[in-house]
Amino acid sequence: MQPQLILAAGDPSSTNIWAIANTPFLWFCALGVFAVIFIQTILYARAAKVAAPHVNMPARELKESFRAGAVASIGPSLAVVFVAIALLALFGTPAVLVRIGLIGSVSAETASANISAVSMGATLGGADYTQQVFAVAFMAMSLSGAMWMLSTLILTPIMKKGGKSLAKRNPAVMALIPTAALLGAFSALTFAELPKSSIHMILVAVSAASMGLCLLLAKVLHAKWLKEWALGISIAIAITAGYFLHTAA
Amino acid sequence: MSTPTITLTSADASMARFEKQTTRYGSLTMTAGLIFSLLGPIYLVFFSDLQIAPSMIWVAFLAVAATFGVLWIVEPVTYFPILGSAAMYQAFMIGNISNKLLPAAIVAQSSIGAKPGTKRGDLAAVMAICGAATVHLTSLLLFVGVLGTWLVSQVPAEVIDVARLYILPSLMGAVLVQSIVAMKSLRPTIIAIALALLMNFVVLPAMPAVAMFATALVVIASILVSWVLRDRKALVTTSED
Repeated sequence: MQPQLILAAGDPSSTNIWAIANTPFLWFCALGVFAVIFIQTILYARAAKVAAPHVNMPARELKESFRAGAVASIGPSLAVVFVAIALLALFGTPAVLVRIGLIGSVSAETASANISAVSMGATLGGADYTQQVFAVAFMAMSLSGAMWMLSTLILTPIMKKGGKSLAKRNPAVMALIPTAALLGAFSALTFAELPKSSIHMILVAVSAASMGLCLLLAKVLHAKWLKEWALGISIAIAITAGYFLHTAA
Repeated sequence: MSTPTITLTSADASMARFEKQTTRYGSLTMTAGLIFSLLGPIYLVFFSDLQIAPSMIWVAFLAVAATFGVLWIVEPVTYFPILGSAAMYQAFMIGNISNKLLPAAIVAQSSIGAKPGTKRGDLAAVMAICGAATVHLTSLLLFVGVLGTWLVSQVPAEVIDVARLYILPSLMGAVLVQSIVAMKSLRPTIIAIALALLMNFVVLPAMPAVAMFATALVVIASILVSWVLRDRKALVTTSED
């Protein structure tokens, strides 16, 4: 037992995730990521403002582009917000803000957290989902996200110098690998839910059917917003069904 | 990209300066974002008395890496031709690239009548992503950070427990259907589902110890089998043009 610097009183076996997941330092780090992106946005907009007059682009068009981007992202942003709220109980606010809201995506981050929990012999959100399991899952998903950023940092200058033909040189492999990898990951994680209980099995079916219906309606009615909201709607329907099935059982 | 630049005009020079500036700002801010995103979990793991052994982190990270590692490289390479270097640093920090940032950029370009890939188009795309980022950050802070936290604290504990218990099946069913529809590739879909069924109902019941790397094994097998059983005719025609 070496003496250790302990700043927050965690309890490795406690299942009170919020007690550890909403500590001030985690909030500070999350707000730090927000601040960094705000600063990046300001620096980029300023650089564009300087360059625009030289390419015959009036300031009015820059403003219009900014507004068009802002308006176009209201729907998708609120859809992300909705899904993020559903995951608050699982990860706490700071982790959800950074991992689900910003850097990552709902599906990849939840999948990573689930894989990490399983690697410790626990279930995400289950009775053995302790503060210790949460911390390891949070670390693993953050490291994975860091690798994404690291490869962007390394590859972007390389591709700019002319290596951009990598995707063109072998389009078949480049298209197949991510498709097969994502389908493999999501299939494996979805079917892993089935043997857990009959309620789990029903909820997977309800959630899948809700998504199918939303996407079909979106296509038939040409409703783009429905496609954006499909994930949030499916989660809401399935969770509600889960609540009634659980309390009835 | 393909326009021959014999003489460097002032437009070219100012775009070159823009590229240089955004590369510097972009990589600096992304590095800062990367550090902030790691500080939180590092604090929990090392300074919160949760008795976490290094091996726990390594095993979890390896399991995640075996599943998503290939995407760390493939995704940036895939998005680069669409986004361009300036927007790359924005996109991989803001997230939600295909469902939010790309549509925002396209809408902006069409609203001012600029073609993608032109100088005006590039600047419009960057400004559109700035606009999208502003809306996204604000709505996350307001609706998730403030309102969501308050909402969850008001909901009775037993409802939260049920939500936590069933969030995964409620999410994964929809995510799987969404990705099947988005990918539009029948063969890899059938292969992935068959392999996942095999893993969960044949391999795991016989060898529960495999559980740790079950997802990774399905991912690797899906890539290999999809490649071996690929539609060679379709691939030949696409690689010819």
